[in-house]
Amino acid sequence: MSAVGTAALAAVKRRKLQTVVIGLVVMFSTVTIVTALALLAATSRPFERAFAQQAGAHVTATFDAATAGEGDLAATAELDGVEAAAGPYGQLSTTLELPGSGPHGLPVTMVGRDDPAGPVDRLDLWEGRWPSAAGEIVLDDVPNAPSGPLAVGDTVSLPDGTSLTIVGFAYSFSETAGAWVTEAQMSELAPVETQMLYRFTENGTSAEIDEAVAAIEAALPGGALVAAQSYLPLKEAVTAELGSYLVFLVVFGILGLAVAVLIVANVVSGAVVSGSRHIGVLKAIGFTPRQVVMVYLVMVTVPAVVGAVFGTAAGHMLGQFLLASAFEEGGLGTVTVGLTADAIALVGMPVLVLLAALVPALQAHRLSAAEAISAGSATHRGRALRIQRWLGGTRLPRAASLGLGLPFARPGRTAMTAAAVALGVLTATFAVGLAATVTELDAVTKRRDDVQVHVLPSLAGPVQSATALGDEAIQEKLAAMPGAANVTANAQVDLTMAGAGEPPENVFIRGDSQQMGYENQLLEGSWFDGPGETVVTSRFVYQHHVGVGDSLTLWMDGERIELEVVGVVMGNGDGKLYADWSNLDGLGDALDDIARGVYYEVRLEEGAAATADYIAAVDAAGLGLEGTEPTKVGGYMITIISLSTTLTVMLGSVAALGVFNTVVLNARERRRDLGMLKSIGMTPRQVVGMMTTSMAGLGLLGGVIGAGLGVLVHRQVVPLAAAMAQIELVQSLLVPWTAPILAALVLAGVAIAVAGAYLPARAAARQTIAEVLRNE
Amino acid sequence: MTEANTTPPVVVRLDGLRKEYGDTTALDGVSLEIRRGEAVAVMGPSGCGKSTMLNLVAGLDRPTGGKVTVDGEDLHDLDETGLALFRRHKIGMIFQFFNLLDDLDTLDNVALAAQLTGARAPQARARAMDLLDELGIADRRSTYPAALSGGERQRVAVARALMNRPALLLADEPTGALDSKAGEQVMDLLIDLNQIGQTLLMVTHDPNLATRCANRVIDFADGRIERERSLERAA
Repeated sequence: MSAVGTAALAAVKRRKLQTVVIGLVVMFSTVTIVTALALLAATSRPFERAFAQQAGAHVTATFDAATAGEGDLAATAELDGVEAAAGPYGQLSTTLELPGSGPHGLPVTMVGRDDPAGPVDRLDLWEGRWPSAAGEIVLDDVPNAPSGPLAVGDTVSLPDGTSLTIVGFAYSFSETAGAWVTEAQMSELAPVETQMLYRFTENGTSAEIDEAVAAIEAALPGGALVAAQSYLPLKEAVTAELGSYLVFLVVFGILGLAVAVLIVANVVSGAVVSGSRHIGVLKAIGFTPRQVVMVYLVMVTVPAVVGAVFGTAAGHMLGQFLLASAFEEGGLGTVTVGLTADAIALVGMPVLVLLAALVPALQAHRLSAAEAISAGSATHRGRALRIQRWLGGTRLPRAASLGLGLPFARPGRTAMTAAAVALGVLTATFAVGLAATVTELDAVTKRRDDVQVHVLPSLAGPVQSATALGDEAIQEKLAAMPGAANVTANAQVDLTMAGAGEPPENVFIRGDSQQMGYENQLLEGSWFDGPGETVVTSRFVYQHHVGVGDSLTLWMDGERIELEVVGVVMGNGDGKLYADWSNLDGLGDALDDIARGVYYEVRLEEGAAATADYIAAVDAAGLGLEGTEPTKVGGYMITIISLSTTLTVMLGSVAALGVFNTVVLNARERRRDLGMLKSIGMTPRQVVGMMTTSMAGLGLLGGVIGAGLGVLVHRQVVPLAAAMAQIELVQSLLVPWTAPILAALVLAGVAIAVAGAYLPARAAARQTIAEVLRNE
Repeated sequence: MTEANTTPPVVVRLDGLRKEYGDTTALDGVSLEIRRGEAVAVMGPSGCGKSTMLNLVAGLDRPTGGKVTVDGEDLHDLDETGLALFRRHKIGMIFQFFNLLDDLDTLDNVALAAQLTGARAPQARARAMDLLDELGIADRRSTYPAALSGGERQRVAVARALMNRPALLLADEPTGALDSKAGEQVMDLLIDLNQIGQTLLMVTHDPNLATRCANRVIDFADGRIERERSLERAA
């Protein structure tokens, strides 16, 4: 082995703490980077990616089987503008009676299809198998969905008594059907409808989709087309649901990347900087400057390569797990950690470590051997004497004042240690803040503190009773139920808006909407206070370029509603307007013709019976309604929060390790000072006290700077991320930390610095003076 | 026969050597010659410039002015790599605080110097083992520096310094960190080395070391040579 190899590998072997810390920091950083890269790749146009994976249907068309023959329908695949088509499949709108579901079945669109693959709507058969014989059925559900009431092997039945055994679960991202059976089975059921699935070459806008559908309709006998479901509303819904969370994930990914790089650079350069005496010895015995650089590069690269290999493997597995739960279980298709991310991490981390080590190693290259060899033991004249003299004159114990003065004697090393602490605390502060922001974002957008129950028309029950009773009467009944404090009725109405291409999403609310948590989302102005006023979401402001004081005109069948924007709320990434129900009165007869979906929101009295009791009361009232709790923190949110927490813990651990390493190296270098002080009568306890005070001071400085920068970065990055998602955030999301949390973060910096100093200081304090001095 | 034929060649020549650190002059025009086989001790109070001179002779630092020639090599002409090669092949150095590499055991600390010259590890270790044997510390070959006594460390440092058969052995307070017994052993070692022809330049505060090991003593004061004395080495 060459002299360089001997010296470098011996250092790797003997400097266990340094080797382990570099290895661990690189490993954790690599895990972070692989996860972050996978995240960045996955969050890039998730709808498009998932849609493309399944060759999703741009239009799911339903035809009258009696009017359009199979040959006619198959011929539409050849029309201009049709990129691909699947079908014709027999289609039946029916209900499935589930075991123990009572008298009312589950409404479902069932399709006869022999192949889950094909040119359009390639289904994800994620459990069981595809039906191969009569009497078998596959149900639609998102992959690995929380186990519902049904499982493979269960039996469901159709209204005519046909019994079907569930043989699998598949997922159609395009939502083309709720269940599939074989084509032969469907023929037996004599369907009156036929399904065709189309992909179009021009598919970006509603107009393009409408044009393509019109061409198909024109090619078929009149009245053949029953319905055409475009993919665009689905796209909007998915995009709105992911909304700003994806942006936060992207930011987290980028942050993880940046912090991992910075911390690795800090740890590695710290290892080189602290080795100046070693460098001097190497030079003294004849190592050339280039050989010295090589020794240091090999010394840090060996643990870095090992860390990168393990980190890549662990990052791949963790990333795969997180992405699977974030995307696949959310129905966003299969997402894998690409080999590109692995390769970047595997090659990039050692290269990064090399670059990080190169800068200080090149400084060592320039250092004369005499200077290097005396580093740590050479006296430094006249540095910060005034501060040290002032500290000596204070009433602090001498050990403490000496300790506090130490950092000023070596400003370069002090700056590096403080930077390591600051970086660690910055990371922790930002990560904690971001996790809190994401959690709070969910609470504010879902109005979790104010709306405990949603009441919707029951899917399983007869729907006539709700409309028969009328929404006012329902609202009164709901308000009269035990525990209800406020109940609002919410109507979504198909209206057009002057100057807008697409109809705006809208919610007309009857009841005490001020009590339903919207005001926590208020960014500007106030909540509406009666007819003629509206509050819009920040996305709506971006979309339609309106603001407080502007007027909007909504139309329906020649009738119009004039509204003045009086407030802007944050919203959930969707462009929506809210107004008082009484505004609908102006629509007169037109309102009777429109399909309006009414749902109810209930705020329960404080200390009222459990939400479950209220929901049970709603279900028992026989209104044809069912109560649900607002979506639990689940699906994407659970994943995002767990992802944020995982990254926070990882980055925090990496940062803490980095700080610990720097402080240990720093403190170890000062063992001679400690021996000297003991030789003039300082007790071991005073020695430890002085050293820990010195580092505690640095820890405090770094902690304060880090926490401040963390808050600052959060305040810059989060609104930027929100702006990318075209929403604005309320103040409570921008300052998610409480004073005790910030104090704890600062103290974490102090604690890590003290812990890093305590161990070597205690070891030095326990050594005999001669031993400490001799070691020099 | 001419004097050139009887006088050993010059190994170290210092010519008007100056070294300044900011406003402080550490060496102020030092001129000196050391011939092959000589054992020269440089003495003087702390801060008189003797260690600075040693560093300049070893090529560990560069002078502000003047010239250093060692074994015919003008150090001024050498770049950093050249200086490293010069140290590797022509200089052996012993420090007060040993400066062994803590990461290497005794044998590898010594062998490393030979590996630097291109020797393969087995050959380098074999020669290192011979040296350790000669110096009486072969049984400590697998011990790391932290577990060696001061005298043992210094003997390892001496072995390392001798590994490449240097033209000049430099010693900076070689007994300064040792107890009297270990100091005696190191002194005996240096005397033995000089007696077999090793040129020796040492810096010391210790008159006993100087009188026992050196045949010429140079007294430094304020960065200059104050006087030179030739000695008959004590038996």
